[in-house]
Amino acid sequence: MFKKFSFEDVSAQNQVKASVQRKIRQSIAEEYPGLEPVLDDILPKKSPLIVAKCQNHLNLVLVNNVPLFFSVRDGPYMPTLRLLHQYPNIMKKLQVDRGAIRFVLSGANIMCPGLTSPGGALDEEVEAESPVAVMAEGKQHALAIGFTKMSAKDIKAINKGIGVDNLHYLNDGLWKMERLD
Amino acid sequence: MADKPQPVRVVYCPVCSMPPEYCEFGPDFEKCKPWLIQNFPDLYPDLLKETNERDADKVADKLQVTGISSGSSDGAATSAPKQEEVKRLPGGKIKKKEKQEVVIEKVIRNKRKCITTVKGLELFGVKLSDASKKLGKKFATGASVVKGPTEKDQIDVQGDISYDIVEFITDTWPDVPESAIYFIEDGKKVPAA
Ligand SMILES: [Zn+2]
Repeated sequence: MFKKFSFEDVSAQNQVKASVQRKIRQSIAEEYPGLEPVLDDILPKKSPLIVAKCQNHLNLVLVNNVPLFFSVRDGPYMPTLRLLHQYPNIMKKLQVDRGAIRFVLSGANIMCPGLTSPGGALDEEVEAESPVAVMAEGKQHALAIGFTKMSAKDIKAINKGIGVDNLHYLNDGLWKMERLD
Repeated sequence: MADKPQPVRVVYCPVCSMPPEYCEFGPDFEKCKPWLIQNFPDLYPDLLKETNERDADKVADKLQVTGISSGSSDGAATSAPKQEEVKRLPGGKIKKKEKQEVVIEKVIRNKRKCITTVKGLELFGVKLSDASKKLGKKFATGASVVKGPTEKDQIDVQGDISYDIVEFITDTWPDVPESAIYFIEDGKKVPAA
């Protein structure tokens, strides 16, 4: 989604109303309970929350010009990889095998066999249509943020086709946009 | 408050911008290698072996170059009044005497990303690998020794640190006088002092 993303794709940036700001905070807190204790540090109540509307129904949530979360249409807010690296345990994780790393880093969606092979790993609790951190065999940090197309159980049972959509990965346009100003 | 998670500070590679463990999958692993060797030697144990071999070649090259250039173009072409002399650096390496100065330049990469390059510290007997570590620590950022455009080693520091760096250099390495430090600004060389 962010393969060719750049500043030109940001169509409007707006400081949101207090009520909207509350809603955003609340849905982030619900989606990532692990973030709740630090939510005031990440989204300080005093700093204005900016929502940048971008091409393809994409929204970015920024504080002090730093993109922290993104969402597509009415989907859930997902952390940027840089934020996830700071708080690595806020999302459910799936792991691809080493062979899949270079495909993921070129933007490819994640195929089931890359998750079910000996180098992969699945958290059985992951449901379909949920945000996940994509980890990799032998690596410590997440390399992508994904959105599951099937539940972990189905990924295992069906074991073919795309299991997870690759939304945001290391070195894509959003990764490179450390700041938007 | 006790269970409030502390943010993890992940160091990113100043060359490819990814966590160092992913450099091997980056756009140009070769360019990441010098920084990795300096900062994360345990991550890619094979790299160290590789460079030890290469370094041996480099020293041989350098000695050769010195031998050739002292006889020909170099001395005649430069109008520097200084006599060429051979200086023995603390490391025991023999180096031709050059104009002793440190040149700092801010370079913008990837539109908004910026690095600060520092050239010439080795002319004051400073070990670049050591300097790179100190700069990285001081400015809490990635710093690495890389080959500069003129095939000379320089230090690349992530971020714009050009404002604090002069004081840090003169404090850390008293052999480097402030008067020998220059900035490149809009293509012009400006004294820092
Ligand atoms: Zn790298």
